[in-house]
Amino acid sequence: MENADQEIIICRCEEISRRQILAAIADGATTIKGVKIRTEAGMGLCQGRTCRRLITQMLAQSGARPAAELYPPTSRPPVRTAQVGEYIREEDD
Amino acid sequence: MGRTADVAVIGGGVIGASIAYRLAKAGKKVVLCERYDLTAGATGACDQMVILQSKNPGIHLRLALDSAAMFQDLSRELDYPIEYFRHGGMITIENEMEMGVMTDFVARQKKIGLEVEIISRADAAKRQRGLADHLLGCTFSRQDGHVNPFKLTLGFAKAAKALGAEILIDAEVTGFKEEGGKIKGIKTAKGDVDAEVTVLAAGAWSPLVAAQVGLTLPIKPRRGQIIITEPGPPYVVGGILSAQYIVAKYHPETLRDAKSRGVQLGVGLALSQTAKGDILIGATREFVDYEVSNTREGIREILKNAARLMPGLKKMNVIRIMGGSRPYTPDGLPLIGFPKGREGLFLAAGHEGDGIALSAITGRIVADLLTEGKTYTDISPLDPNRFPLIAS
Ligand SMILES: Cc1cc2nc3c(=O)[nH]c(=O)nc-3n(C[C@H](O)[C@H](O)[C@H](O)COP(=O)(O)OP(=O)(O)OC[C@H]3O[C@@H](n4cnc5c(N)ncnc54)[C@H](O)[C@@H]3O)c2cc1C
Ligand code: FES
Repeated sequence: MENADQEIIICRCEEISRRQILAAIADGATTIKGVKIRTEAGMGLCQGRTCRRLITQMLAQSGARPAAELYPPTSRPPVRTAQVGEYIREEDD
Repeated sequence: MGRTADVAVIGGGVIGASIAYRLAKAGKKVVLCERYDLTAGATGACDQMVILQSKNPGIHLRLALDSAAMFQDLSRELDYPIEYFRHGGMITIENEMEMGVMTDFVARQKKIGLEVEIISRADAAKRQRGLADHLLGCTFSRQDGHVNPFKLTLGFAKAAKALGAEILIDAEVTGFKEEGGKIKGIKTAKGDVDAEVTVLAAGAWSPLVAAQVGLTLPIKPRRGQIIITEPGPPYVVGGILSAQYIVAKYHPETLRDAKSRGVQLGVGLALSQTAKGDILIGATREFVDYEVSNTREGIREILKNAARLMPGLKKMNVIRIMGGSRPYTPDGLPLIGFPKGREGLFLAAGHEGDGIALSAITGRIVADLLTEGKTYTDISPLDPNRFPLIAS
């Protein structure tokens, strides 16, 4: 039972299991980004929309940091998915 | 809690991680201190190119060649897949002025031992779909490649740990420990580290750290913005740069009257595709202090430039944008060595746009110097004391 639990997929886009995320936390990851660079969880097509909450919970449970600190401020606006061509065309308007 | 080490390394980017690994391998007790997390700086916001062709024929190219040779066996050595592939690389040439600069550049690079040539537009098109019709040709080198900067850094760190190094994250360095005029270690958010030598490898942030011991480093942050598309089937073959980049870097005088926004933002094409299939499209080169946010203008100019050189990109879907601070130096070469007058401190920073490519060789040089007192080649052009480091 324990083992099956470990193999549950947390990030569906990138097929990253609970075990892999725990390994990243053991390797020192204390933030969503830390898990992302070590496992690629959150880098899939949905850009983490589906898996972020679960990973945050796991980080909070690990006690590495208070939960409030788990969302480091980011200056990146979420990108609207659009074709390169559309980005360029905008300018001509 | 205090720690003791032979060497303390400041900065967990690709340079700090490579140095920590080589030193640990040479038998040194290493403690690496990183303010946020591994790859939090430029290393985590960059392209992935190990392009030799863009390097000035001289020490820069020689070191890049030696570094590339080290990458070939590195996955096995680190027991970690760094995703280094030698798929070759091209530099696009759009006009006669660029052709002139590149013809001379290529001739001098060949003398140093790089396999590189200028190929026609037709031959370039056989290699790469989607190129613009107006190109005069491209340079081509089969020795160019790319590597995953995250995996490379994590791989160095993991191997360093396996050799006994300690990697402290969330461990900002807040000051130095000095004794009798010598630097004896560092103070960090995770406690003091006593060390015989402290290596400063904090990339663009190195001047801020060095200022705490009265050193003025000529390093400045230079923002690069890049764009990432959704993963797709293989499209971009190897790495592609534009000659704009070379011309801007080595012949800035030719750009003096260029008024376009793209030129002012330092836009030059840097294009590659990751093992997963995302296409990375870069980049700007802007002096905007430590700002790493993205601007609409920057994104648009990058994409305009990319689509001009390679109209085939227009249909790709953008899903992510990034920005990072490259560690710029006035002469384009890093500072590697002991700064005079600050015994106990060693500098290894300022790789600007080539830190990934030069990481492996930088680790070797630093470890050589700190264990043997000498290294395999003349690195006097990298001596930090070529700049006035102590304000008089
Ligand atoms: C858009 C872009 C594209 C690029 N493309 C390429 C490319 O294709 N090929 C290539 O070779 N290079 C490329 N580069 C350049 C490359 O990213 C850098 O040269 C390289 O990452 C520098 O590594 P570094 O370790 O010196 O610095 P960084 O990666 O910036 O690492 C410095 C580290 O020091 C930490 N730090 C800062 N202050 C402190 C402190 N007080 N205490 C503890 N830690 C601290 C930071 O958090 C950071 O993690 C590109 C850069 C950009 C921005
Ligand atoms: S579920 Fe993790 S990125 Fe989509």
